[in-house]
Amino acid sequence: MKYNELEALLEEGKIIFLTYGGFLTQSLIAGMIDALEKEVRSNDLSTKISTHLFTIFIELAQNMMNYAKAKYGSDAERYAKGLIIVGMDSDPRYYYVISRNIVDASDKAKLTEHFEELEGLDKESLRALYRAKRKAGKEKHHQGAGIGFVEIVRRCDAFEYTFTPIDTEHYYFTFKTIIHQPQESL
Amino acid sequence: MNPITIEATQYTPAIRLDPSGAWLIAGKSYPENTFEFYKPVMHWIEVYLAQTDSADITLDMEIVYFNSSSSKLFYDLFDLLDAKRSTHKITIRWLYDPQNESALEAGEDFIADFEFLNIQLTEK
Repeated sequence: MKYNELEALLEEGKIIFLTYGGFLTQSLIAGMIDALEKEVRSNDLSTKISTHLFTIFIELAQNMMNYAKAKYGSDAERYAKGLIIVGMDSDPRYYYVISRNIVDASDKAKLTEHFEELEGLDKESLRALYRAKRKAGKEKHHQGAGIGFVEIVRRCDAFEYTFTPIDTEHYYFTFKTIIHQPQESL
Repeated sequence: MNPITIEATQYTPAIRLDPSGAWLIAGKSYPENTFEFYKPVMHWIEVYLAQTDSADITLDMEIVYFNSSSSKLFYDLFDLLDAKRSTHKITIRWLYDPQNESALEAGEDFIADFEFLNIQLTEK
């Protein structure tokens, strides 16, 4: 996204609560959550929607952080440039979280397979899948048992993703989730 | 055994474990490395369960929001307790804000997963 595109979004009233590009650390993520909590309070968001936003934000941000650490080790700070945006759009009002980072071809394949599994599942099926994966991941102590994206999809109304090639081995992976504001709470 | 008291931070909950059986985990839970963070907590509970023949345990869980590895960890924690439900009188109170539908759902999921554990959904 170019700077002028970002500016255009702001002018159109597509309010951006938070945007960050660069290497993510835990303390940055915690600081961004604090900022989001303040935004949410001043915008009178319901507890339900704000909890969804925080949870999705945390999953996506920690995913990018952990991926960068696993991929680049101590060089992560230099190479891992993630982008994360939280915003609001109107007519009808909805909230979104966008994350973008660079992934390699094998991860593109794994992620695509995972998303295809999640697409088309209704909330109850997602809930069942989440429980089954959490239970099965009993001994996997270093990850969330592969339930991170299931959690995200459970908590949003729609998601979309793209892989934009950079070279033969690398892609920009962009993931967008949308949360609708229920009409009655407007 | 000595009690454990851990103060809450921006991303980890307040934790109190007492040999009397009054336990509490309250706050947000999204540590960078969830299993490292909870290691002393899980260890304390394992030792406590091994050293006591029976005990009345009440665990208050009041989690505002949490990451997926914390969800996994809470599952493992309940699994530890579940293994001792024939000798120990265990009550888990899952405290939730009625406005926070997903906290309620998370509690319901644990009840479904541990049908023989006494998990009580309690509105704050």
